[in-house]
Amino acid sequence: MAEPSNAAPTAPVSPPASSTPEQAQPATENPPQTLPIRDSKPTQPTGDAPASTDGATDKPLTPAELKKKAKADKAARRIREKLEREGNNTTSSAAPPPSVGAQPRQPTTPKKDAAGTGSAQKGPRAPPPRRGSGPVAQNGSVLVEQKKKKDDKKVAVFGHLYGQQRRVTVGGATKEVHPAILALGMQLVDYTICGSSARCVATLLAFKRVIESYTTPMGTSLARHLTTHLSSQITYLSTCRPLSISQGNAIRALKLFIAGIDPSTPEASAKISLCEYIDSFIREKITVADQVIADSAAQKVQDGDVIVTFAGSSIVKHTLLLAHNQGKRFRVSIIDSRPLFEGKSLARDLAKSGLDVQYSLVHSITHAVKDATKVFLGAHAMTSNGGLYSRVGTALVAMSAKERASGVEIPVIVCCETIKFTDRVALDSIVVNEIADANELLPMDPPVSLLVPTPDAYAPPTPENKKGGNRTPAPEPPVIPHKTSSSPLADWHNTPNLQLLNIMYDVTPAEYVDMVITEMGSLPPSAVPIVHRMVTNL
Amino acid sequence: MASTTSDAAVADTKPFDIVATYNELLRSDADLTMPIAAIEALVLLLTHSASSTISETLDLLEKSTAHLKRSIPNPIGLSAGTDLFQRYLITTLQRPGQLGPAGDFKAIRTHLLSNGRLFIRRAKESRDKIAAFGRGFIRDGSTILTNGGSRAVAALLQKAADEEGGPSAVRFRVIYVLSSTSPENKHPNEEPEGMETVRALRAKGVPVSTIPESAVAYSLGKADMVIVGAEGVVENGGIVSRMGTYQIGLLAKAIGKPFYVVAESHKFVRLYPLGQYDLPIEQQVVEFKSEEDLAEERKQQSSVDTNGDTPIKLPLCDSVDFTPPHLISALITDSGVLTPSAVSEELIKIWF
Repeated sequence: MAEPSNAAPTAPVSPPASSTPEQAQPATENPPQTLPIRDSKPTQPTGDAPASTDGATDKPLTPAELKKKAKADKAARRIREKLEREGNNTTSSAAPPPSVGAQPRQPTTPKKDAAGTGSAQKGPRAPPPRRGSGPVAQNGSVLVEQKKKKDDKKVAVFGHLYGQQRRVTVGGATKEVHPAILALGMQLVDYTICGSSARCVATLLAFKRVIESYTTPMGTSLARHLTTHLSSQITYLSTCRPLSISQGNAIRALKLFIAGIDPSTPEASAKISLCEYIDSFIREKITVADQVIADSAAQKVQDGDVIVTFAGSSIVKHTLLLAHNQGKRFRVSIIDSRPLFEGKSLARDLAKSGLDVQYSLVHSITHAVKDATKVFLGAHAMTSNGGLYSRVGTALVAMSAKERASGVEIPVIVCCETIKFTDRVALDSIVVNEIADANELLPMDPPVSLLVPTPDAYAPPTPENKKGGNRTPAPEPPVIPHKTSSSPLADWHNTPNLQLLNIMYDVTPAEYVDMVITEMGSLPPSAVPIVHRMVTNL
Repeated sequence: MASTTSDAAVADTKPFDIVATYNELLRSDADLTMPIAAIEALVLLLTHSASSTISETLDLLEKSTAHLKRSIPNPIGLSAGTDLFQRYLITTLQRPGQLGPAGDFKAIRTHLLSNGRLFIRRAKESRDKIAAFGRGFIRDGSTILTNGGSRAVAALLQKAADEEGGPSAVRFRVIYVLSSTSPENKHPNEEPEGMETVRALRAKGVPVSTIPESAVAYSLGKADMVIVGAEGVVENGGIVSRMGTYQIGLLAKAIGKPFYVVAESHKFVRLYPLGQYDLPIEQQVVEFKSEEDLAEERKQQSSVDTNGDTPIKLPLCDSVDFTPPHLISALITDSGVLTPSAVSEELIKIWF
């Protein structure tokens, strides 16, 4: 995993580094010429780019300086690339406008920056969290004012999460990134592939294609080089969307397996065994695990139940369909939320299979919980203190179920594969989270999907969707294009004192979860670290 | 193992009846718990069966287990034993080597039988171990509230009472909650469960007060702690126990007294009830009846009085409830004193 600091493998790092300077920058109205100057703050080499390249030519170069120069050149190139991308964005309004991003979880970038630039790294990070609340400085500098304006658009408490902007095009990707990964990245960005398990499977399958088309360069061994090669793919993916816990766990397992390959193994057979490993990993950890979980979760469904679920978890869908096929008679109440509307496709699929479905949005939770008997939830991750890290709104549903006014508790059941367990601890939803593009909160034209346009994956928030509590067996109303300008918030970038927050996850404390169903059996949330330890030691 | 030989003699003549064996074992040995009786019955079954392949054995075991579970009104306790045995069997068969799938089946069988017996013997000793662990909880001058007829609790209390036989014994008092369920009991003169323990404790010089269940809240102020037994310890650390334990747990929590559970670790069941009504048994505790229903019932009773084949219903005095883990301070088991959340860890250790 450790990124060697010689010239060749630094290339993968360029995308994240190049977008770091953009972090404060909401899409379109930004004059591009200000960018290089603002860039001077984040990282030293980036800022010094023009100066050092000029100065370096007439001095004799030490190896360290050479390295610095290479870096500076790269930085300059990055700025050029970025400017190009900027230009694209301003002209093509069709693409989802980039603005506030989310923090990447890739370890390579910070490590490298820290190694290369020493303390310079501190520069951009220190001020942001507080800036939103501070008074706007009244100095004459246009630059500073503009910067203030950008930072005002960050919600102060979550300031640390606006680390990096999501990538919106494949532009600027290094040549090492495999086409399968490029495609996957775009699918991740526009939520075509959404959900922790789906992302994990898609990533592994893409890696399989990377491995299939991989040839070990001369003078190195597969076990050593493939890991770095994969790292560049992973870095690219994480600029598209921060990696999920499941992706991280799968990648860790895969790298461990690669590292364990005997260097004397012929490349062809090593690749075959790797592909087999990926296949069996997917089968074991996700496909079969899902079946086992659905099987034991369906046993908890009884005749006459009213089951509340939140958003669109695939494992909950399997469970409910299985219970339905077993002849159990129960109702399902799907709670959904903006802006992803993941519950819609779930509602459609369940209703199509003949289940009794009620669909409502999260603000009508009190009504939905009133006659509920059980709550089934999916998970993005389970943390070591038993917290459930899942789509934002989950905690609200779990807590409403547990603290119902009548005093009768409704059991809250979480279905989660052990691949989603993590040894991290989450005490709140602030420290670790993901911030999505705030523009998603605006009612707007359906964003043009970069790949196949799939309406459910990214449904436009039309006003029709607000009929909470109605039964909508066919929950997809025809997409009525309406004027973007009609949204009062459309111009939020330029409205002073207005911030939009589009947070993606929240943490449900362990005491609101009665039971976690995994492929290893049913556990209380307190047993998550034990099982995680056991699974990772195997 | 005296019963083993006598049973073997009987079973040679007629087909082996696992249910009868199980009931017979429970009746013959008052110290036997349900899971152990179930395991012993299964071991006996294997001794009698003529199975010669692994899959045949597993199949036989599965069928008999299912049959046994169906025929017993409350199979929670015994399922701990049958699950454990089955698990043990499978792991033994999966192990490579002489006893693995490639090995000689006869060797496997004798190994299984001898180990099964060893397991039973160990399980019987576990009560002494529990008493050793739990003894420290009972201190001089304390008052303990307990209920039901748990042998593990009785063993613990008696051990504390006659430690070193006399002077060094702990001076403590016991409030014994005697169940007063079943007003329509067929044997009104039958003494309530736990009376035997009360007598034994009194004989050892421990002052015992017996109270009805309705006086628990009233008496709890005088008690320092609650110690109860369990029929089964479930995966989330809660217990399935004699009806009335749950309310004692609730009251103890409300009053702020520690609530300890004494249970052997072979009573850990792979079961995860979400509430009182999520137990895998049919209990008729809350039954709504109008005068019309009662009349109908009387009519039916007179007509089908002789027919005993109606589906088995758990009589009220044998019914159980579920005490959720947040009411339990600690579980005193033969593998140590555990918090409720550690139970799932123990169970996972057994199962994986």
